[in-house]
Amino acid sequence: MADELSAVVVDDHPAVRAGVAYWLSSGTPPIRVVASGEDVRSAWLGEGADADVVILDLHLGGPTPVLGDLRRLVEAGRRVVVYSMRADDDIALQCLELGALCYLTKAEGAEHLVQATRAAAEGRPYTPPSLAGALAGDRSDHRPALSAREVEVLVEWFQSESKEFVAQRLGISLSTVNSHLERIRVKYALIGREAPTKAALVARAIQDGLIGVDDL
Amino acid sequence: MRRSGGGTDDLGLDRGEAELTEDDSREAERHVFASLRLILLCTTAVVQPSISAGPFFAGVHDPSARIAFAVPALVTLLCAVWVVRRKPLPLPVAAGGAVAVLVASAVAAEALPSHEHFGPADWSYGLVGWHLLLLLLDRVPALLTAQAALLVLNVTHWLLDGTPDRAEVGNAGVVTFSVTSLQLGVVVMSRVLLRSARQAAGIAAERERAATRAALARQWEQDLRAGFAGQLGATLPLLAGLADGVLDPRADETRRRCALAATQLRRLFAENDDVPDPLVHEVAACVHVAERRGVSVSLAVSGAPVPVPTDVRRQLTAPLVEALSAARERARVSLLRTEGEVRVAVVADAGVEMGTATGPVEVESGTYGRHTRMEARWRTS
Repeated sequence: MADELSAVVVDDHPAVRAGVAYWLSSGTPPIRVVASGEDVRSAWLGEGADADVVILDLHLGGPTPVLGDLRRLVEAGRRVVVYSMRADDDIALQCLELGALCYLTKAEGAEHLVQATRAAAEGRPYTPPSLAGALAGDRSDHRPALSAREVEVLVEWFQSESKEFVAQRLGISLSTVNSHLERIRVKYALIGREAPTKAALVARAIQDGLIGVDDL
Repeated sequence: MRRSGGGTDDLGLDRGEAELTEDDSREAERHVFASLRLILLCTTAVVQPSISAGPFFAGVHDPSARIAFAVPALVTLLCAVWVVRRKPLPLPVAAGGAVAVLVASAVAAEALPSHEHFGPADWSYGLVGWHLLLLLLDRVPALLTAQAALLVLNVTHWLLDGTPDRAEVGNAGVVTFSVTSLQLGVVVMSRVLLRSARQAAGIAAERERAATRAALARQWEQDLRAGFAGQLGATLPLLAGLADGVLDPRADETRRRCALAATQLRRLFAENDDVPDPLVHEVAACVHVAERRGVSVSLAVSGAPVPVPTDVRRQLTAPLVEALSAARERARVSLLRTEGEVRVAVVADAGVEMGTATGPVEVESGTYGRHTRMEARWRTS
């Protein structure tokens, strides 16, 4: 089971920790939750320190989001999926800028969490529909320039929650939809803070031919 | 809760009431004074030739007395310029005229032979009093002062002629009393008339305001009814059909129409709520009705709120209402606000298509496999 993916769940609600562990373990192939805890220590100590993915709740008991912990984890090269109650566009964009590979709201179900965790384990970003909405509605000055097609894919994915539907609507293949979403995330990674995960993400994008070296 | 509509506050009447009343009373005052001045003009024009001319021509023919007789006549003529046009006399004319007739009176009194004051030959006393009334009718303190000055002037002349006997005193008293009381009576009458006219104007204005208020309230109610009837959409014919037994409540089509009517009503109720983000509030209200029907709806909102006018919100949510009421089990509702657009979209397992619409809000819909997609877009800029 050496190549089995592992994750650590940081959430202040035991029911959420148990539920996430169950969802991840029932996927195919299953993802093992090696540690879980109500604060971020479980991601730094013991088995949690070596887990492939950190699933991090932004509100750990306190009123302020733990963006500092997110930044430290990302700087240490950890692959983080933020899993939050709040469907707040600004917080989501802030987490992406800090280097989280995914921002997922708890209203979005098991399927997205499993896919996001699996993508994160490979160092790939995952863009769930709510995050696509946040990116499509981003009006900040420093946002990257997206092509018309990329915006279309974002909006359609946000509106339908179904990549098959997006592919059918736009007359493109499923893998093209995914490529567009990934390229958008690379564009965001290029404008965000420096982080090992981001460097890996950009390197992979070049390798996959999603972007050229000239785009950097 | 109410943003606009009827009530006296919105009609802007109560705020202006004080000014309106003042305007009305000024108008009434102008009217009363103009009419009274016209009567007084006739009086002076008639009194001078008919009553005063006789004693004057019968009396002395001193040149100064002739001038004194001509001055009031000229003043009357001058006043006629304003009076016949129903205009108030300008202050210089009133003041100058008063001084002129008082001086004329003094000259006339001077020219009178001894012991003729207040007698049949004294043509000036009564006449000048009428002129003062004409000149200073709307300036009561000045009028009273001028009348007093006239009286003092004549009495002084009368006394300077030597000690009067009892008959002379009696005669002077009767003349002074009759002339003064008649002229002061005119002043009192003008005041009474003025007060009545003001009251009448006030009442008329209040009636007019009340009538305007009532008309506006009626109009507002009518608009509200028409607006509601328009927005109630499918509800009224549906209720009529159910009440008449024409529609079967168990039929799928009736249930679909009921679902549509319920969503329309719920959205309409949400429309007037005072909330920070009305569009999200209205969309959420539609979603709420669908969820109560058992449809599993996922609602997502992205992008910062932008102000959306009420009629645009209606156009944006109308297709949403239709799509949601047709949804069977699942629906995805999304509201996206980007830099230049507001987009409301529904992807549902509904079999109906909304068709397309153009205008400020573009509606696009289509069927893709088992799903129907509808999107309403409004360009903010």
